[in-house]
Amino acid sequence: MKKIIILFLIIGFSITYATEKDSLALENPFKRYYKLLEDCDACGCSASGGSMGFSSMLNPNFVGVRYFYQSYQSTDGLYSNSPWYTENFNTIQLWGRIPVTTKIQVSLLLPYQFHNRESNTGSQSISGLGDLTALGFYSIVKTKKDSLTFKHHVLLGGGVKIPTGKYNESNNGSVNPSYQLGTGSWDYILATEYILRKEQIGFNGMLNYTIKTENEKNYRFGNQFNYGGTFFYVVANESFSFVPQLGFAGEVYESNYQHQQKVRNTEGAILFGKIGFEIGKDRFSLGANAMLPIHQNLTGGNVEANYRWSVNFNYSL
Amino acid sequence: MKNLIKNIAILWVATTILFSCSNNDDDTTNATGTLKVEFDNIYGDANFAFNTPYTNSNGEIVKVTDVVYIVSNIVLTKEDGSIYTVPKSDSYFFVNESDAASTLLSLPNIPAANYTKITFGIGVDEAQFNVGGEGQGNLWERADALGMTWSWAAGYKFVKFEGTYTSPSFTDASFMVHTGKTGEIYNYAEVSLNLPENALVRSTITPQIHIMANLKDIIDGTTVVNFEEGGMVMGGTKVQNIMANNVPNMFEVHHVHND
Repeated sequence: MKKIIILFLIIGFSITYATEKDSLALENPFKRYYKLLEDCDACGCSASGGSMGFSSMLNPNFVGVRYFYQSYQSTDGLYSNSPWYTENFNTIQLWGRIPVTTKIQVSLLLPYQFHNRESNTGSQSISGLGDLTALGFYSIVKTKKDSLTFKHHVLLGGGVKIPTGKYNESNNGSVNPSYQLGTGSWDYILATEYILRKEQIGFNGMLNYTIKTENEKNYRFGNQFNYGGTFFYVVANESFSFVPQLGFAGEVYESNYQHQQKVRNTEGAILFGKIGFEIGKDRFSLGANAMLPIHQNLTGGNVEANYRWSVNFNYSL
Repeated sequence: MKNLIKNIAILWVATTILFSCSNNDDDTTNATGTLKVEFDNIYGDANFAFNTPYTNSNGEIVKVTDVVYIVSNIVLTKEDGSIYTVPKSDSYFFVNESDAASTLLSLPNIPAANYTKITFGIGVDEAQFNVGGEGQGNLWERADALGMTWSWAAGYKFVKFEGTYTSPSFTDASFMVHTGKTGEIYNYAEVSLNLPENALVRSTITPQIHIMANLKDIIDGTTVVNFEEGGMVMGGTKVQNIMANNVPNMFEVHHVHND
């Protein structure tokens, strides 16, 4: 497993360095804006990026680091007087989007997770590497610049989530089954992105579907459908850009399976509203956003998402 | 470009199928495993606690100080309809709220299979009682230690439920519900519960059946016991009604873990 990680890192950095010089010639004021769709897995365990948007609009090429925090509360659901406990999911993620050809890009996301929660037996915490996600994107439609008022960009992608994060079956109680570092499984991701731009105003839409497989402990997390849309507005000059954004993001979970048997009350759905901004200066950009649930029904009502927020710091390639 | 998309699609289908092939660990021949059965006492839908005031449908308020019941003769039904009966010598349990360990029954040497139903009795069945002291091993001693016996002739207490009550005429008066044989009527109760998920007993999987036992139902079920009429309920039609109408309906399987 270590070898795989190292391999990916080497490939990632090689591509990064190889392309850095080439991209210098392509500077333009909008490049520093990276649209970061931010809907992580509702239950954190695979919050390594499988359900995030992997999008960027004007310049798809960057490396960076982001931190995101997810606040949940959960209950065992056994009694009317069962206590609710807070769960805190923290993730620091190295991420990048690296061009391979003019039409093909590769996204890599490597999370480090540190989660904690209260329980009837006291505080618990888990930390460690999460699941590594690698995705390839192919640009199938891209409006030539300046040719039209509306510019479209459609990308199709696919990838894999590798079980570099630890899955501990003893966490599988009647409480949040996703209090994990990783799913323990090889999962496959199909993704699409659509970007529409008219002068300073734009919309970024994304759909992706994660096919999850059974892990070594015979547990299979439910397949997951994610969707999101973000409207943004670009204020920019020669070296500086400011991009406020407003949008929504949703996640739909199918049931989990254990030993090929459905685990009741593990399906669910959540819809978030989100607000955020990006600031770009030269090759650097700083972004932050917050997400609040509009509607949710997770894990039979035994898990509730409170809110999420994130910050990121990126370097344009 | 169409070709590329097609190729990507084919690649995805292929890899998905490839990695989706799971190992079926159905080692159900000759192998055995352990099954755990948890009796989780509740009152209404609240987690049960001693000395906590609970209001019944008749307005009486009870605070419980002791609860023990005998779970016996466990029978498991497999997916194919066949049954496995836990050997009688290993199939008498005293579920005692004061002793957390006693609420989790561990049944070893269960044939590996997918079980869909659990059946058990509350009390000591008449056949076992009629075997007499010699054939019952240390059952009598175990029961006696928990105050679950009457005289030898009157036999075992099947359910012991004690505490205090407040009714129109009484404040914090004692109540004692002891069920068992009443004269010629034996009052052994049988409970049969379908499992919402199969219990997958394997050498590598120890399923746990989580049963909710609603203590409220003992006195406030189909038959409602009014302590206002007397706090000592140890015989007669009240006990017969409790064992016939209330106790068989107080249990429910909440879920099954297959960890």
